[in-house]
Amino acid sequence: MLTGKQNVFDFRMHGLSSDLRGELTRSYGPDQAQRVAEPDSICTGVGARVDSKTSYEKTTFLSPDARRALASSRSSLPLLHHSSVSDRTIQCSRMSLAAESPLQSSSSSEDFAALLDAELELASSDTSPNEEEAENDDENDLQEPRTKRRKVEDFESLEDIETPMMVETNQEHIGTSGVVKNDICPPHPGFFKGLCMRCGQLEEDDGSGVAFGYIHKDLKLGTREIERLRGADHKKLLHEKKLVLILDLDHTLLNSTRLADISSEEEYLLRQVESMKDDPDRSLFKLDSMHMLTKLRPFVHNFLKEASSIFEMYVYTMAERSYAMEIVKLLDPGKVYFDSKVITQADCTQRHQKGLDVVLGAESIVVILDDTEAVWHRHKENLIQMERYHFFASSCRQFGFGAKSLSELMKDERESDGALATILNVLKQAHQMFFDPVLGPDSSSRDVRQVLKGIRHEILQGCKIVFSRVFPSKSPAQDQPIWKMAERLGATCCTEVDPSVTHVVSMDTGTQKSRWALQNEKFLVSPYWIEATNFLWQRQKEDDFPISNLRSRNA
Amino acid sequence: MFFHITLERNMQLHPRHFGPHLRDKLVAKLMKDVEGTCSGRHGFVVAITGVEDIGKGLIREGTGFVTFPVKYQAVVFRPFKGEILEAVVTMVNKMGFFAEAGPVQIFVSNHLIPDDMEFQSGDMPNYTTSDGSVKIQKDSEVRLKIIGTRVDATEIFCIGTIKDDFLGVINDPGFIELFI
Repeated sequence: MLTGKQNVFDFRMHGLSSDLRGELTRSYGPDQAQRVAEPDSICTGVGARVDSKTSYEKTTFLSPDARRALASSRSSLPLLHHSSVSDRTIQCSRMSLAAESPLQSSSSSEDFAALLDAELELASSDTSPNEEEAENDDENDLQEPRTKRRKVEDFESLEDIETPMMVETNQEHIGTSGVVKNDICPPHPGFFKGLCMRCGQLEEDDGSGVAFGYIHKDLKLGTREIERLRGADHKKLLHEKKLVLILDLDHTLLNSTRLADISSEEEYLLRQVESMKDDPDRSLFKLDSMHMLTKLRPFVHNFLKEASSIFEMYVYTMAERSYAMEIVKLLDPGKVYFDSKVITQADCTQRHQKGLDVVLGAESIVVILDDTEAVWHRHKENLIQMERYHFFASSCRQFGFGAKSLSELMKDERESDGALATILNVLKQAHQMFFDPVLGPDSSSRDVRQVLKGIRHEILQGCKIVFSRVFPSKSPAQDQPIWKMAERLGATCCTEVDPSVTHVVSMDTGTQKSRWALQNEKFLVSPYWIEATNFLWQRQKEDDFPISNLRSRNA
Repeated sequence: MFFHITLERNMQLHPRHFGPHLRDKLVAKLMKDVEGTCSGRHGFVVAITGVEDIGKGLIREGTGFVTFPVKYQAVVFRPFKGEILEAVVTMVNKMGFFAEAGPVQIFVSNHLIPDDMEFQSGDMPNYTTSDGSVKIQKDSEVRLKIIGTRVDATEIFCIGTIKDDFLGVINDPGFIELFI
């Protein structure tokens, strides 16, 4: 009878070749092998015993009867949970393969067994091949006493949750050295197709994980694991002196329109896209499968190339996955920038809201580039709002602009100082300030949001602004978006004129405040001055935004 | 692990197939229906090696279909928890890597990859030891241990580990030299 010391009969068995394992089984026989199994440890395939302290239960070629016997004798033990998986898959009727196992042999090789025993430091080799004829009933009986004979600590540990046992077995028997990453499994790190990544258990539906469908469609990670991954990512990126950049697609990097929505003045584009098919530098693309026409924003390729050297980039769009993947193919044909980092509408945890919860990057180093502020409700501080790119007429119509679109005017943004070029400079500046060597080598506690705030605050430093007929005077002025925008840019805003005021922002030259401004030689500008400053990150020339322009705009 | 087992199935045959080639048609239909499917009990049916016996057909009431109990032998593949397999790596990412052993896809998460192997991203993402001696990338062969399986109607999915003794990359160039 093999004693509890057979616990040593362990992973080393796995190192043995299959021949050797076959030998063992032949000497012990499959029935014997079953009996050799202790309730808390099961044989692997061929009679090799794996220790109770292994972290993972193994199913065997045990006949279903034997397995049931084992399971019942272990009824209090969590093993049942594991074997329940296999039970589900292995049904109760006897598997024909067990019956046909070529392992049934009666030839014994006692010498071989003894050799092995000696090698594996077993006290005695109690089993003898003659006992292979033991019946299943005997098996059950034998297992009970063996259970009792087992070391008390094993038994107790088994009665407890399996996990502490798993920890000690891991450290004891697994060859790898060093501290493992917190190997205890009830905080399952994540699930892949419903199986825990670390222990192989089936997922219980408690819905606490976050689905990361964009990395792999069956992946779901638990909160602790997400934190751990974020931390690891944070460290790695700081080491490489990179921050994280999240890019929106529509109206930020490109503009798309459905073929059906093309206006008559844009028809020349269809001809153009055909003729440009082989031009490697083209920015106009036709997506046949989606019946759309896409225009990439000028400077976008350079932007991506330069940004990728100082940022790890993600795409986060509210479009559907199929569209997003098509676009990413155009932007990143080499799969260098955005390999598995394209987050789409389906990955959002909240409807109509984008969140950083599905991004495996620490919030303190994330910069977001998007044209819409509303979707980033929870992360406004990380956001750099971009001016919308309206190339197609349908896009202008969508946003209610009566003016002609860039395509109809046959114009386009300038590459050298268009929106992307400007933002790239801002990003470079932010990156430089974040990794400023003056601040010391430790950048882990710095926050890019603070850096952005600092940069913004410098833009309109020293300006004092009064608003006139920009918003209704009844509503609280401090809550107005334009007020808040001006304050973010570093200006001070007030409601009444006084000698320290430098700018009056108005929609109408006839108001009292406007006339006061003209009299006192203060700057009189339209609200677009503030907006333009916000988008261009630079104090704009006040002369470029006179109020008289407004009349023609509204007309 | 592969097994060669005898299975039985009731095949229904439409009367249009009756004729001198009834048996062949039956076997063809069997192959079409069964090869490539998966069951929880037997695993993945890789190929039918032969038909052992075709029983007497029973005409069903109401329709003209005839049911034949067919006994056939097939090679099946079924992964077990605890089994050690060799597999070929198909995809590597920072969560771990995917490997395929025949029709079975196995995922090894980075929790179950030895701690000294770090993920390197790039155009050929891989896991490498700190001294660069061992590398796991696409198309590497690894020996891994299965720790959990899940069987669908059409495929089997497993979670594996390489964190134990004797597991890991097989076709490391240094490794091959030893045996030359």
